[in-house]
Amino acid sequence: MIAQLQIDPTQLIEPWTARWFPQTLGSMLVGITCGVLGCFVVLRRMALIGDALSHAILPGVVVALLSLGWFGVQLDGLPPWFLAMWLLVGALGAGLLTAVLISLVQRKSRAKEDSAIGIAFTAMFAVGLILISSLPRGTHFDLECFIYGDPLAVQTPDLILMGVVCPAVLLTVALMYHRFKLISFDPVVAAAMGVSVAFAHYLLMGMLASTIVAGIKSTGVILVVAMVITPAAAAYQLTNRLWVMLVLAGTIGALSAGLGMSLAFMVNTPTGPAMVLVAALLFTLAVLFSPNHGWVFDRLRRLRLARHVAAEDVLKALYRLGPQPETGYVEPIGTETGLPPRKLVKTVARLCAEAVLTIEQGRLMLTQVGKRHARELVRAHRLWETYLVNEAGFTAEEVHATAEDLEHAHELSDALFEALGRPDQDPHGSEIPRREPG
Amino acid sequence: MAMDELVARIIGVTKVYQKHKAAPPVHALAGVDLDLPRGQYLSIMGPSGSGKSTLMNIIGCLDRPTEGAYLLGGDDVAKMDDTELSRVRGRHLGFVFQAFNLIPQLTVQENVAVPLFYQGIPAGERNRRAAAVLERVELADRMSHRPAQLSGGQMQRVAIARALVNEPSILLADEPTGNLDTKTGDTILALFDELHAQGLTIVMVTHDPGMADRCERVVRLRDGLIDVDEVGGKRPVTSSSAV
Ligand SMILES: Nc1ncnc2c1ncn2[C@@H]1O[C@H](COP(=O)(O)OP(=O)(O)O)[C@@H](O)[C@H]1O
Ligand SMILES: [Mg+2]
Repeated sequence: MIAQLQIDPTQLIEPWTARWFPQTLGSMLVGITCGVLGCFVVLRRMALIGDALSHAILPGVVVALLSLGWFGVQLDGLPPWFLAMWLLVGALGAGLLTAVLISLVQRKSRAKEDSAIGIAFTAMFAVGLILISSLPRGTHFDLECFIYGDPLAVQTPDLILMGVVCPAVLLTVALMYHRFKLISFDPVVAAAMGVSVAFAHYLLMGMLASTIVAGIKSTGVILVVAMVITPAAAAYQLTNRLWVMLVLAGTIGALSAGLGMSLAFMVNTPTGPAMVLVAALLFTLAVLFSPNHGWVFDRLRRLRLARHVAAEDVLKALYRLGPQPETGYVEPIGTETGLPPRKLVKTVARLCAEAVLTIEQGRLMLTQVGKRHARELVRAHRLWETYLVNEAGFTAEEVHATAEDLEHAHELSDALFEALGRPDQDPHGSEIPRREPG
Repeated sequence: MAMDELVARIIGVTKVYQKHKAAPPVHALAGVDLDLPRGQYLSIMGPSGSGKSTLMNIIGCLDRPTEGAYLLGGDDVAKMDDTELSRVRGRHLGFVFQAFNLIPQLTVQENVAVPLFYQGIPAGERNRRAAAVLERVELADRMSHRPAQLSGGQMQRVAIARALVNEPSILLADEPTGNLDTKTGDTILALFDELHAQGLTIVMVTHDPGMADRCERVVRLRDGLIDVDEVGGKRPVTSSSAV
């Protein structure tokens, strides 16, 4: 069977209409909180623990629901805020139990930490799945929504949970900002300065568990961890400053949630995957376009450098060869510089436009500016050769190729000239041009 | 001040590491007794794996002993929980690390003021006290520099200033000259000498055999036990020379 995606662009704005706006706003709030907390998870390399927590919460929530039945409480008669808090208690309990299980497995078996985490959370998840089938008939527990996320299922108790947990978490992060920062940066120094690393760790875990419970209905248990990791990882591509990273991760989290809602309505899919897809897309953009580490700017920088080197090589070749016929310069200069014809023609055109080269009476030649620049390059080349032979111990035959690269750093020429004791000749006996006045 | 007044007492302390049930336990410390008089300059030496770092971590309240008692200023630290230990570290101990561990984004003065931040001391006083200790380590003219603009020796002096800013009862240093060349290392050791002459209690882990001449007492560890506890080359500070 071929799945058919029903794409309906008119649904794009549906999440922003009054009917769905509370759900959208709630999801965005969770997105901000997940993004902010995610920064610490990413920096402290705890992604696996985040995944563990989200899965481990299932039995906690189910037991919380079951226990209402044991006490004979009717779900319908319950105030929504009570149900919300009761579920939160169950989830936090399950999170705590998982933490204990992980350290128990680690201490009592040969399993290393990552295996211990894997064993503990899958076991908890399995318990949750089994318990679901024992929920009393009347209980509405939609497993599918728990796993994939569904805005239809986000009801008043969930909105209350989001409205309480998210501001509380953000406030705590603001208050603990300096401690968290020091711990993420250098846990050894943090401990020595009197910061309780263990307390901060458990606080972070507790906040993470609470946020995950708040977000689980809109994102689903499998993908909620992506809302924690992906926006923070994207922000990490863009900055090295923690507070900027927190702001960016929060923004990317909110965007992922908001745009994800629109996407989900448009193609009529669960909200969780749509939000995570948007987050992954934003992460990809961050990887490509990050000004410091990004692939695109890196390529641009390299391209610019390659162009610069090509231009200077052409200048030097013309300086050495003298003016060339306008129609026949490609062959001799191409041989001299090693540039392929197409690149050479482009470079010459660019240099003419910059008035470094000119064509007079059918001959390609250097302008005054071009001549001065070329002399600079020759000077740098010969100075570097002198340096490589006199100071670095190479022989005169070895240095040409290296100097060919180094000559592009001609802003160092004056310093080099002085350091070498104002030489007149390079190792091959050629004259080193003096710096032109002006 | 009486020489025999003790800052710290370590009584029958052991530290056993055991990765998991089936693994053989490692007795990093196998029963150590150590009294630390106020104002003493003690260096801990011993081959690699003999337990030096473990002992330092316990003296520094970064870790709790498996058995035994550790009395610091009258309290048994061995029984404290993590939050209390953190408080003790922040208020009563100063740490100097081999790799300096300064925060690159902060200025020298801000780095030194960091420990005071966690004690809720207002900004004005933090800056004033940081400036005062930087004066002591002769870096008053580098207050607004970043660590990257300093030499290794200067960075370690900033780290020492940071360790001193809370007026600790013990200054702990784990191979503080390990990342420095011999000459720079000597200037750092001279600074430790000077601080000791001013009455500071110092515990230092070192590999430098020359250290034995610089301090009052050398404790040599071997296999988690005190092998030798000897008087170093320097006379103990008398009460009159202590400040
Ligand atoms: N966290 C740890 N877990 C297990 N074994 C440890 C741990 N820390 C130290 N050890 C062991 O305890 C012994 C003493 O280590 P340490 O105090 O670091 O020695 P030193 O600093 O003198 O080189 C070593 O055998 C070391 O392998
Ligand atoms: Mg060691």
